[in-house]
Amino acid sequence: MNVALLEKIGAIIGGLIVGAVAFYALWKDWKTPGVENHVFKVMLLLLGVGAVIALLAGLGILGTFGKA
Amino acid sequence: MAIAAIPHDAHGEVDQLYVETRELRLQGFLLFLISDCVLFSSFIFAYLYLRNTGQGWPPPGIARLDVAFAAWNSVVLFGSGATMHYALENWKHGNFMKYMWMLIATIILGAMFLGGQGYEYHHLIFDEKVTWAGSGIFGASFFTLTGMHGFHVFMGVCYLTVLLLQTAAGTYTYQKYFGITAGTLYWHFVDVIWVVLFSIFYLL
Repeated sequence: MNVALLEKIGAIIGGLIVGAVAFYALWKDWKTPGVENHVFKVMLLLLGVGAVIALLAGLGILGTFGKA
Repeated sequence: MAIAAIPHDAHGEVDQLYVETRELRLQGFLLFLISDCVLFSSFIFAYLYLRNTGQGWPPPGIARLDVAFAAWNSVVLFGSGATMHYALENWKHGNFMKYMWMLIATIILGAMFLGGQGYEYHHLIFDEKVTWAGSGIFGASFFTLTGMHGFHVFMGVCYLTVLLLQTAAGTYTYQKYFGITAGTLYWHFVDVIWVVLFSIFYLL
């Protein structure tokens, strides 16, 4: 098993876990009031989006793997 | 550890001045993050403009960046954002030990991201011969933006380490913990900036 494949698997599994955690935390905090919590919600949303992007990159849907 | 085991204020009460100024502290910290956002935005838009004026990307003679490694390293950083969020949540709910473990996990993941970035820099500079000054717009913009972000992560790791030591020393209470909130906001900020940098350098 080569290193690039391990990195892809890590990105896919990690992306799934982090994305799920971020969106769950966002769902849980959705109704919390206050500026601070609103900022946290935006940050969690973007964190979840980032995890999905990394997951899609791991799957090869986004970006091109390895060197051209 | 029970809440009672955590040191409170000298009189065991919430500091009234702290309560009154907390919103101002928050607004001040958010203004700092917005100013940092402006700094990154100016560099990002400059990079995108220069990239679109060039012929082909990456420029001829320069290897593509390793997306697989970057995706893995990104997940490490995003994971640290999740652990930091739960560190704050555990603090809010009085779970001292869970907070400490989550904070330690965040510091370790942040250090791992920096190690990964160092490895990538080493590979680019010594194997691919991509340098800040010798690889045109690509090298200059890549090393400037990712280096600036890496510096922010490094400062964040230092900040979180200070938070860890302060918490162990009993600096914060369950009523008075703005330092932890600010640390969490800052760490989320560096995560979000990396979402953009990862997308524009590795995926576009």
